[in-house]
Amino acid sequence: MVSQRFLFTILLLIDVVLLLAIYLLPPAALLKFVLALLVLGVDVLAFSTKLYMSFFVPFLRMKGHVATMNSEEPFMMAPSGNAIVVRRGASVFASAFVSVPTYKSATEMNAEEKADFARLFSRAITIAKYPVRFATQLSVINKDAYISNIRSKLDEAEERYQSASMNAQGSKADSERIKGEVTMWHNLYDNVNKVGSQMLEAFAMVTAEGGNEEEATSLALQRADELASGMSSVFGVTASILEGDDILRFVEPDHMIPPITVGEQLREKNVATEL
Amino acid sequence: MDERTMIYLGTTSLIAILLLLSPAQFGGLAAVVALLVILAIMVILVLNYADFVLFPVFTQILGIKTVPVKNYYIPKTSNSIVKYINGIYYATGYLTANIYKYVFTAENVDENEEIKMSEGPEKWERIVMNAGFPFRYNVLSSAEDVQRYREELEGRRGTLEFQLSKEMSSSAPNELTIQDLQRKMNVVDARIDRLSGGERPIDSVMYIETTAVGVSEKEAADALTNQLNHLQTLFSSFDLSITRVVGRELYHLFTYNYTVPDRDLLGETFSLER
Repeated sequence: MVSQRFLFTILLLIDVVLLLAIYLLPPAALLKFVLALLVLGVDVLAFSTKLYMSFFVPFLRMKGHVATMNSEEPFMMAPSGNAIVVRRGASVFASAFVSVPTYKSATEMNAEEKADFARLFSRAITIAKYPVRFATQLSVINKDAYISNIRSKLDEAEERYQSASMNAQGSKADSERIKGEVTMWHNLYDNVNKVGSQMLEAFAMVTAEGGNEEEATSLALQRADELASGMSSVFGVTASILEGDDILRFVEPDHMIPPITVGEQLREKNVATEL
Repeated sequence: MDERTMIYLGTTSLIAILLLLSPAQFGGLAAVVALLVILAIMVILVLNYADFVLFPVFTQILGIKTVPVKNYYIPKTSNSIVKYINGIYYATGYLTANIYKYVFTAENVDENEEIKMSEGPEKWERIVMNAGFPFRYNVLSSAEDVQRYREELEGRRGTLEFQLSKEMSSSAPNELTIQDLQRKMNVVDARIDRLSGGERPIDSVMYIETTAVGVSEKEAADALTNQLNHLQTLFSSFDLSITRVVGRELYHLFTYNYTVPDRDLLGETFSLER
């Protein structure tokens, strides 16, 4: 892939050649005017490589108003499950995530402790020699499995109630008991969707480049290990490298906001709006 | 303005100006060429200082939808990244929010600095409690070469010392200039002391990311705008300048979710806080 600086230099050289042509060619005002237009066009293009290098090729190859910059998945999970891998041309990048659990709330601290905490934070940020992304995320607690479980219990109870009601020989007491069960599951199902529970987590992310997936992953994990040790000693907590679904929560929006949990809330919101 | 931008602006503007060295070359079209040169320089300046305005205008007028990776797209408004999965639209947007002053101790130029630093954690907790929707605060940090930075600081100190002694030995020394130079020297001294204390100089980019959901793209986009506005209000307690990220930078911030850029790439894409 052509580097941005290389393209900028090439475009500048083209400009210089065109300029020389303007000054060295025999007098022909119209031709020179056209060349001047080209110089200015290439000049603006050269400057725009500084900002839009990644957009040039996709915009040139655009089909039906859709510019595709990358048609592949944004990342792959490493086979070890503790890093994500991104391929960009011949380069392979692996990123590992370190969870930093902080338990203390600012409301429990006095003024000095608060200032100390801010200093610890600034110290933690300066730990690594390589670029690191530190983040604190407020995400929706995943209640998908819990909601699905209640939903299936509710369906099951409703089915039993229907059978009991249709059975002429069945006892009325049994039918009433099942009806109570249906009401109970219904209330639970409605209540679990009413409150959006959230959690706050802090993490750090490091990336390493390698010739292949294994090399990049092991380098990223090594960096993550160093970072975890540094964070543990600065904050006095046990920072650890994240794996599997815990990583996905920090990279995929549908894991940050679980679909069933939020889908139910959206459904309720839409019903309320319609009413 | 960083060195790289100066080189890019300087060379491209110079080439445009070189066209005007001999206007006679263009005969009767000389005035038009002069006008075009001015226009080209203006376009370059606008690209440099306000590309966040140009890019969305360009995509909006041409109706361009950008696909950064599979399953995601940037609508023609260029102000969010959308993912459609399981019948739900997830729209993600970004805000710049540089809380540098609340993270790093400066060089004691501000008397209220200690108070500001200690207020940080509490203000942050208040924001988290009042947000009520998912968001992520990101700090991208990249360490500088300690030795190079130290040499740079020592060089700057030498220059300031020279300017100070020149001002003091002048026939009519200006008290305000002397105070200003002394203040700048104190800042440089404090930075050198911090380096000696083991602190590493870093460059940083700080931003907020939030995701909203909806059963249609419009609903998700509207919810996202509401969330971003709400975050702007919440973070106003930090007394920051917060702006919504649109266009080119939106794409780059999105890619940082999967790979942390190296120092050079980060510097090429964003202005870093040092």
